[in-house]
Amino acid sequence: MKNNIRVERAIKNITQGELAEQVGVSRQTINTIESNKYVPSTILALKIARVFGKALEEVFILEDGD
Amino acid sequence: MKSKFLFPYWCRYLGWGLVILHVPLSMFGRSHGMVNVLDKPSTGLFTGEHLFFIYTSLVMVSGLFLAAFSREKVEDEQIWQVRLDSLRWAIFVNYVVLIISLVFIEDVGHMLDLNLYVPLVFFIIRFRWVIYRLNRSLSREG
Repeated sequence: MKNNIRVERAIKNITQGELAEQVGVSRQTINTIESNKYVPSTILALKIARVFGKALEEVFILEDGD
Repeated sequence: MKSKFLFPYWCRYLGWGLVILHVPLSMFGRSHGMVNVLDKPSTGLFTGEHLFFIYTSLVMVSGLFLAAFSREKVEDEQIWQVRLDSLRWAIFVNYVVLIISLVFIEDVGHMLDLNLYVPLVFFIIRFRWVIYRLNRSLSREG
């Protein structure tokens, strides 16, 4: 699974720290999700998509190997 | 993410305090002629030596226990996953060590010592190491 969090953050002009605060996790978690090292729970993924005002599939994209 | 069954954050410092306190306590006891009950034949329950064993082990184990199971500053789902993963490793390593020592060590008494500390110590080392690596990758990216 890949994601567009970095791009969406740039569009919305917020830092990892600010996003982390809005969804109630640590900055490390946002960082590892962005670099595809950690797959968030459905709840966290939905919260992140809500911050960007997008549908879940626009932020998180399933890859062929998944 | 709600994480139940964890001590508050400050308990970590209390835990390390107890672990450090354990050192002068047992040195004081030993200098007054107390020996570990595991090192000599049984003298019965609640004798001086048995009490010495109880309080030193208790201080050490409860210290490690508090240090291992206290909440992180930000306790989120990733920390929770690292915690579970480290616990799985700790149990795994504990049983490997236990099985090996069952075969190769005659002294069953000291296996209690081993079993008492290996899971907690390994858990703490593994958990802290992963968190250290997460923090390091964060500071590298800035």
